[in-house]
Amino acid sequence: MWEVTRIKRNPWSIFDELEALQADLNRAMSGESGAGSEAPRVRRRPYPLLNVLSSEQGVVVDAELPGVPAKEIDVSVEGNELTLSGQRPEPETVEGMTYHRRERSMGSFSRTLQLPFRADPNGVKASYRNGVLRVTVPRSAEEQRKRITIEA
Amino acid sequence: MSTEVERTQETGGESITPQEYGPVYLPDVDIRETADMVEVLADMPGVDKASTDVTVENGVLSISGEAREEAAEGYTAAGREFRLSRYRRDFTISDQIDTNKIKARMADGVLTVSLPKREEVKTRKIKIAS
Repeated sequence: MWEVTRIKRNPWSIFDELEALQADLNRAMSGESGAGSEAPRVRRRPYPLLNVLSSEQGVVVDAELPGVPAKEIDVSVEGNELTLSGQRPEPETVEGMTYHRRERSMGSFSRTLQLPFRADPNGVKASYRNGVLRVTVPRSAEEQRKRITIEA
Repeated sequence: MSTEVERTQETGGESITPQEYGPVYLPDVDIRETADMVEVLADMPGVDKASTDVTVENGVLSISGEAREEAAEGYTAAGREFRLSRYRRDFTISDQIDTNKIKARMADGVLTVSLPKREEVKTRKIKIAS
């Protein structure tokens, strides 16, 4: 038999649920109506999900962004912060189309990653393949110079 | 109106163990319907066209794909929130679907499967015999 591992893609989902609960509580306490119909598809987990790889030169950040055209993704680096933001467009609909399932999240996103170094904004490279964005962020020249080799 | 496509719990009889291939994820999907067709959109980041499989057998539509992570020479993992691995999800399709006309396309890690309805189902005007 095929064994499908039915795990949520986000390992932190339990915290999301707690956070969602907390948000609901806060709304209830502040007297705001917590009617879910206003924003039924609010994404509480961070988006996009990231994988970070590091080396002496800098970091490589992979972001899961399926279905987002590269031109819709904005990559910016300032100081030691890398920000990925943009818009995930809704798929085209036709008149009379009804949804039976809607699990894919849409809309705008923004996520900032604190880097453990000052980055060289001119050396940042980004590529997009099969729905995965890869950003390479090098350390700034000053950062690289600061590293002192200790001789024996 | 009844849902044309439903996820089945356990289908498929292949014996592939997750240990061998890493975890198998259920892709997030949208399922939508018009008068003429049902459409399934599935997020499968990291999967290219060649590694995507769409099959229809015994009224079950199976979508699967294998994602490959690009290597980064000289870099070591510092933090990981997602894994690029295998995806698979099965759907029972209604007999209103014309299985010979199912089409699929893969772009930017999103698989779109179009399942047109049979002509008999679509037709609403009935010719009156003289």
